[in-house]
Amino acid sequence: MKLFVPSPGHIDSLKELLTEKEKIYSIFMAGSPDYIGTGRSNLASPQLEDVAAQTEYAHKNGVKMELVLNSSCMGGRQLTPEGYRINHWYIEKLNDIGIDSIVVADPYLVEMIAKDFDMDVVVSVLAFVDSPQKAEFFEDLGADSIVIDSNVNRHFDVLHAIKDSVDCELKLLVNEGCLYRCPFRYAHFNFFSHAFGPEPRPNVLDDYYYLKCLELRIENPELIIKSPWIRPEDIKIYKDITDVYKIGGRTHFVDWILNCVNAYYNESYDGNLMDLLDCPKDLKDLYNIPNKSLDGILEKQWKNCKKVCNKCGYCRTLTKKVAQVYSNGGTELEKCSPWEIYAVKT
Amino acid sequence: MITEELLINRAGFEENIRKLIGRPVLLIELDVFALPCGCAGITANMRGLEVDDLEVFEPQILPLVKEMAIKLGVKPTVTFARLVPGSSIVASLNWRALCPRCYPEFARGESKMPRPDLYLLQFERRK
Repeated sequence: MKLFVPSPGHIDSLKELLTEKEKIYSIFMAGSPDYIGTGRSNLASPQLEDVAAQTEYAHKNGVKMELVLNSSCMGGRQLTPEGYRINHWYIEKLNDIGIDSIVVADPYLVEMIAKDFDMDVVVSVLAFVDSPQKAEFFEDLGADSIVIDSNVNRHFDVLHAIKDSVDCELKLLVNEGCLYRCPFRYAHFNFFSHAFGPEPRPNVLDDYYYLKCLELRIENPELIIKSPWIRPEDIKIYKDITDVYKIGGRTHFVDWILNCVNAYYNESYDGNLMDLLDCPKDLKDLYNIPNKSLDGILEKQWKNCKKVCNKCGYCRTLTKKVAQVYSNGGTELEKCSPWEIYAVKT
Repeated sequence: MITEELLINRAGFEENIRKLIGRPVLLIELDVFALPCGCAGITANMRGLEVDDLEVFEPQILPLVKEMAIKLGVKPTVTFARLVPGSSIVASLNWRALCPRCYPEFARGESKMPRPDLYLLQFERRK
C-alpha cells in the first residue's frame, strides 16, 4: 500500500509525521499561496527555502514529497502572459528543489507541467474525474496519476471502468467526509482557491458553505453515513482498483494525522468513525459512529447501491441504528445516547 | 473556577436548546470576551441553529438566554444572534454589556434586525 499523508506545512510537523516514516510513501502539503494556491484551507505558506528544506528532510528519510497547487479557480490569471510567467517560474523552482510530484486541478497546468517538467503531474480530486472519459482526457494531457473524484468511491462499476481505461496511477481519497454529490462543492472550492490563493483575498467573516454543510448534517446525520468515505477495513475491497491511497487533513494536528495513518496502514480502526473524517471535524464532538458497527456494509449494501435513496431507506435505518449523540460534553455527566432521542419524530 | 463554570454552562445551555427545538445542535465554543471599546460579554458559537428556530421558539429561548447570563455573571445590555446574511444560519448567540460608544449603534431604530446579520433577542434601552 502507498499512503499519501498530509502535512500542515512546517518542518516541525514533518519531523513528527516522519517518526512513522515506514508507513508513509509520500507527504503532501500546500505550497505558497502567492502563486497558484490551493482549493482547500491551509495553515502554512511555506516559501521555497522551507519547501527545499522539507523536501530534503523527507528524501533523507526515504519519503517522497508532493506539492498541492490545486486551486480550482485562478480567475483566468493563469492564462495571462504574466500569470503564465509567474506560475512557470514557481513550478521551475519546485522542480529544481526536487519535488517528486505536483497536484493540480486545472487541465492547462496538467498539460504545461507534463510538457515542460520532469516531475510527476497528479490530477487533483478537485478536477472531479468521475468517468473513464475524463480519466482518458487527463491521461492524454500527460497526467501520471489521477485522484478519482471521491463522489464515485462507492460506484464500483465506474471505478473499474476508469481502471480499465487508463494506464496511469489511480489514487483514492479515503477520508473526505464531504456530502455525497455535494451541491456546495464547486462554489466552496472556488471560494477556498481565492481565500488561499494570491492577493487580493476575500475578507470573509463566515464560511457559508461550511456552516450550511454542518447545519444539514446536524439535522440529518444520514448525510454523514452516505458520504463516500472508505473505512480502513474496506481498503481490501479496492485492491483490484489501486493500492494508492490519500489521507486528507492538512489542517489537522499531527496527532490526528498519525491516528489516521495508523488506522489505514493497519486497515482497522476501533473507535469513532468521525475521528478519521477530514471534514467536518467539528462534528466529532457531536456524533459517535462506532467504526466497527459498519463492518461488512460496503460489501453487503453500498457496493451495489443504486443511489435511489427515497426508494431504499437503507442508510436511514442504519443511521438510526448506529449514530449516537454526545451530550453534556466536557463535564462529568458526558454520555452518548442514540441519535433518535434528539430527532424530531416525523 | 471560571473554566469549570464555562464547561458546565456550555453543556447545560446546549442541552436545553436541543430539548427545545428537537435537534442535537452543537454549542461549539463558549467564549467570554472583553473588547478594547469597553464592551464585554459572552459568545456562544452555534452549529445547526437556524433563524426559524429563533422566530418560532423565541419566547422559550429568552428565559434560557437570561438564565445563562445570570449564571455567568454577565448583565447584558443586548442579547443577539449573529446570522450569515441571506441564509438560515445562526453563527452565534451573543450577550453583550455595551459600552457608551457602541450603545447608539444598537439603539438607533426599533427593528429586531439593526443590521442584516444581527437578530435582537433582548435590548435594554436607556431611559
